[in-house]
Amino acid sequence: MRARPRPAVAAGARRTVGPPVVEMEKVSKRYRGGGGIEDVTLEVGPGEVFGFLGPNGAGKTTTIRLLLDLIRPDRGTIRLFGLDPRRDGVAVRRRLGYLPGDLVLYDRLSARELLSHFAHLRKGPSWEAIASLCERFDLEVDRPIRSLSKGNRQKVGLVQALMGMPELLLLDEPTSGLDPIVQHELHSSLRQLALEGTTVFLSSHVLSEVEQVADRVGMIRAGRVAAVERVDELRSRSVHLVDVRTAAPIDPAAFSALPGVARLDVVDHSAHLEIAGSLGPLIGELAGMEVTELSVREPDLEEIFLSFYARPRAAPTGSRREEHDRGRP
Amino acid sequence: MDDRRRRFAELHSIFERELHEHRRALIGWGAGLVAYAAVMLASFTAVRDNHEISKLLGSYPKAFRDMFGITDYASGPGYLRAEIFSLVGPLLIIILAVLWGSDVTAGEEERGTLDILMANPVSRRRVVAEKWAAVAVGVTLVTAVFGLVIGLGAPVVGMRVPTADLVAVLVATDLIAILFATVALALAAASGRRAIARGVAAVLAVASYLASSLAELVGWLRPVRPFSPWYHALGIDPLTVGFAPWHLALLVGLVAAFAVLAAVSFERRDLAV
Repeated sequence: MRARPRPAVAAGARRTVGPPVVEMEKVSKRYRGGGGIEDVTLEVGPGEVFGFLGPNGAGKTTTIRLLLDLIRPDRGTIRLFGLDPRRDGVAVRRRLGYLPGDLVLYDRLSARELLSHFAHLRKGPSWEAIASLCERFDLEVDRPIRSLSKGNRQKVGLVQALMGMPELLLLDEPTSGLDPIVQHELHSSLRQLALEGTTVFLSSHVLSEVEQVADRVGMIRAGRVAAVERVDELRSRSVHLVDVRTAAPIDPAAFSALPGVARLDVVDHSAHLEIAGSLGPLIGELAGMEVTELSVREPDLEEIFLSFYARPRAAPTGSRREEHDRGRP
Repeated sequence: MDDRRRRFAELHSIFERELHEHRRALIGWGAGLVAYAAVMLASFTAVRDNHEISKLLGSYPKAFRDMFGITDYASGPGYLRAEIFSLVGPLLIIILAVLWGSDVTAGEEERGTLDILMANPVSRRRVVAEKWAAVAVGVTLVTAVFGLVIGLGAPVVGMRVPTADLVAVLVATDLIAILFATVALALAAASGRRAIARGVAAVLAVASYLASSLAELVGWLRPVRPFSPWYHALGIDPLTVGFAPWHLALLVGLVAAFAVLAAVSFERRDLAV
């Protein structure tokens, strides 16, 4: 993989102009066996990278399949490029690229056959253009797809999504099965494409992935959009979960005065803290203690939901504003 | 890899891919039918020259002989009708047709490849149309190879069959196979389930065969017979009467009706849920 230098883009620095590329208004879709989405309203502007975050089964794939007109909503309206994905399906799909979350390819074909087939259906990209994408993702094109590893299949899926130079990319869990190097290559490709004006709608259950590439993030849970936030805003509110053990019993007062402490449980020699913003003051405090164990981790998605939305907003977050800028590179 | 092979490896339309993916099945069925035709032709001389068999068959009740198309076993058309075209030959081609027809949309839905296909700028109607066309062409190819072996092999074993009549029975066989492929496709397009499409199409094919052939034996089935596509294809005995344009037109009309039904029901559904 050639690591080409890319311009570093601060997420959120882009301004999106023009009418929205994706519009969903009060869209509901229920399945007979349960599941689906309820009253989803979303807007994604041109050139925006929108992260759609939620646990498995929350309705991410349902939403994307609705946009593609694979399934139809029970209620609500969907517009892509201002067009109806059902009535103007062919025109809409000519302008988008899609990577399914549950990617199944034609096993008996080689990547070359599959890609040339889809290129023909798109009346689009030349083989040279496709080949350069394959080279970028280091994809072997002449072996039958059934003999490829999960990661290599995912690359075939990515190449077919990207090859038509789409105005809108719908990516359902795009990095699943990819090794970190390829994940990195994909993330930088997405940022580059967004700079060039491509709109990206990316679903994920991994917060860190969305944080890395998205400008805004929508959180979906049990079929409902719980929140839509700018990523920089979300970061400022993100908490760290800290567990400390010390040689001497801990005095709760030592921690409760620290800025950004959202939760504090102290039992004898150990403490559990949730801290918003910078960890600096805590580390300063710990320096004077004999620390035997220390773990710091990012909360998982469920914990973020709990800390942001299930609880009243009265959590002590007064100091986060001045902290968050220091916390970022 | 040289340039020639590379160009060959490139696929274009959905029609081409459908045929490409079924090329092994086509070769297999074609080989099986060729072998079946060869064995049947090879036994013709033995059967014709064996007067015991003729006498035995002659002793069967007339209704029974009519049902199995046994009239003049020793003549070329009589032998072909009784041994090949009354049931087994068309049945083999119909099985291929139903298996394939039920697979073209529902197979992709069940395997999970339909999502990525339908994300391309193609309408659902076009997907159904191209895949239907591939099945029709594939079934016709297999039928043509089968017919070619019979047509070329007959003179070798001293069997005389008028070419026009042989072509007529092959066209009828091809049409009824395409019809049941289209019925299976319509069922698969509406339900998204291969098993349903296969089961129902197979039951309909068997019912139409029985309604056509049993009507020779069972008087009350006579009024039902005109509703059996099998009757209009093979029941009217194209090996004797030759081309029967109105009967064939009726079959073509049925094929068109089921093809439209397939496209319409595929367009209205939630796919792969």
